[in-house]
Amino acid sequence: MSAEALDTGFARESESGVFARAGVLRRLARDRVAALAGLVLSAIVFAALFAPWIAPYDPYFTDLTKVMQSPDARHWFGTDNTGRDIFSRVLYGTRNTLMLGLVGVIVGGFIGGLLGILAAYYRRLDGWIMRLVDVMLAFPAILIGLAVAAIFGAGLTAVVIALVVATVPDVARVARGAAIGVMGQEFMEAGRAVGVSDTELIWRYLTLNCISTIFVFLTLRFGQIILIGAALGFLGMGAQPPTAELGMMAAQGRDFLFMAPHIATIPSCAIFVIVLAANLLGDAFRDVLDPRLQT
Amino acid sequence: MSDAANSAPVLQVDGLVKHFAVTRGLIRRKTIGLVRAVEDVSFEIARGETLALVGESGCGKSTTGRLILRLMDPTAGSVRFKGKEIADLDKDALRRMRRHMQIIFQDPYASLNPRMTVGEILAEPLRVHEIGDDASRAARGRELLEIVGLLPEHARRYPHQFSGGQRQRIGIARALAANPDLIVCDEPVSALDVSIQAQIVNLLQNLQQRFGLSYLFIAHDLAVVKHISDRVAVMYLGKLVEIADKKTLYDRPLHPYTQALLAAIPKPDPALRTKRVMLQGDVPSPFRPPTGCRFHTRCPHAQARCSAEEPLLREAAPGHRVACHFFETIPAPTILARAGLANGKFAARLAAFEAAKTARAPG
Repeated sequence: MSAEALDTGFARESESGVFARAGVLRRLARDRVAALAGLVLSAIVFAALFAPWIAPYDPYFTDLTKVMQSPDARHWFGTDNTGRDIFSRVLYGTRNTLMLGLVGVIVGGFIGGLLGILAAYYRRLDGWIMRLVDVMLAFPAILIGLAVAAIFGAGLTAVVIALVVATVPDVARVARGAAIGVMGQEFMEAGRAVGVSDTELIWRYLTLNCISTIFVFLTLRFGQIILIGAALGFLGMGAQPPTAELGMMAAQGRDFLFMAPHIATIPSCAIFVIVLAANLLGDAFRDVLDPRLQT
Repeated sequence: MSDAANSAPVLQVDGLVKHFAVTRGLIRRKTIGLVRAVEDVSFEIARGETLALVGESGCGKSTTGRLILRLMDPTAGSVRFKGKEIADLDKDALRRMRRHMQIIFQDPYASLNPRMTVGEILAEPLRVHEIGDDASRAARGRELLEIVGLLPEHARRYPHQFSGGQRQRIGIARALAANPDLIVCDEPVSALDVSIQAQIVNLLQNLQQRFGLSYLFIAHDLAVVKHISDRVAVMYLGKLVEIADKKTLYDRPLHPYTQALLAAIPKPDPALRTKRVMLQGDVPSPFRPPTGCRFHTRCPHAQARCSAEEPLLREAAPGHRVACHFFETIPAPTILARAGLANGKFAARLAAFEAAKTARAPG
């Protein structure tokens, strides 16, 4: 930086720091795949939110005169083995599946982020927290789901607990890594030298500076969490009939795979689309928010 | 500022020690050794005085600065600030003490929180110590920006919108915010390029005169040190080896290490090359420092006694202390010291400081 730059030069005038959310969204929109993924995901979320108003039929109404009908104009996705409208059930199922993923990511992200940041800030807790996280990492989510379902009974609660346990260790590791990087920066020491309290240092100095890393990781994680949730549903540990949940619907349709393949394939396709859109969007978020990829 | 040296010292450091434990083991941590980063360091700083702390990388000078501010806890020794012991203050008392002692960091790109505006950064010390209300803090922030040569409207900007030199000015403004008495400058200009260095150093000097600040100026650049300091302390492997006022130290360095440091200033004149004392090898590890005098492994004048017996800091002249057994008999390299001044680059940089000083009116 030359002497003239001291008086005149500013690195970038237009964008105001890391809070430049508008800039992030603009860059995101420039990526066509991300824009499409975002559009699809918003449509899915919208449909799930307003399922009671959009669904043409009651998802629990059985009509034994119309079992296993192929998709047609009246039943867009056909009907299942008890004559329930699959389109309505997919809408309600998406609702449950998204909710599982969201709760898993938010609760798991919060607990994991907190553990990771505390481990980085209080180095004497580091060993203990990280060993705990390693123990959690050693259990497959499916196994945790099984155990929780065995203790408290199968249901959405069991799945949520399993998903949270599956999310916490990875988030904790990512958050700890990011936070240790921030801890090494002199502004942390500057804050301490000024007399800022621990609580404020942890929140305003440390957490705010690693939150974008954690956020990107969680958006990437969202698709996987949904997939694990659906897998647990498929194995019968999640939502119990007649509640609609995409994984469980796929499992029920499996018995009729040769007679009426649409019963299993349509919920599976729905899972596929949600996970794909979530992953693409997560990738795009990482590209946009990763400072190393910015020009 | 020589008259200031007679008044009561702002800072008294006595027998300061910092050992870092090297531990091994997962559950039961075992200490397998100590890194002796700072060993028995004592000095004092008078009001309005600048003491420079110089030495190679890893000699413990930054650690000393952090111990004084208690950003690290000392292993032993005492740090008295305006007569009050701070080495054993509890957490709250320490936080209250912090407004009187501040620090300016080396890396202006890492020392400002990127999530806070400049105005928030400057208000932070006042907010933390509950000085004034929001409006008066904001006003003080704008005033500080003007004091360090920036514009009041810069308060709304974020650190990444400034250049390195500007950021360092913000760092200085933050250090000034709560009217401290002592500022530890931890290599405040070594990350900046030379033209900016001169501006920042002169700013620091102006502020010192204006507010009666005391500086502990940690540096490895002897040109900057010669320009800004009143006294100079030389550290080697965690220990003070020589301390004297600036003129004495540059003209008549007594410790072989100080002599070597001054001789290491590059000299473009080929005629002087033969006179040069070159240091051989690297700094030994503070994990296993040499016995006796820590410098004996690299000292051109080392004798048997040096590896056996640790030299104490002895008074060579009033205010000039040296830790060497043989400083009386080592030839004084006066030519070398002058050669350092005659060197074109060194002189050019001194000239740059002077030029920038006259170009920029104080304040």
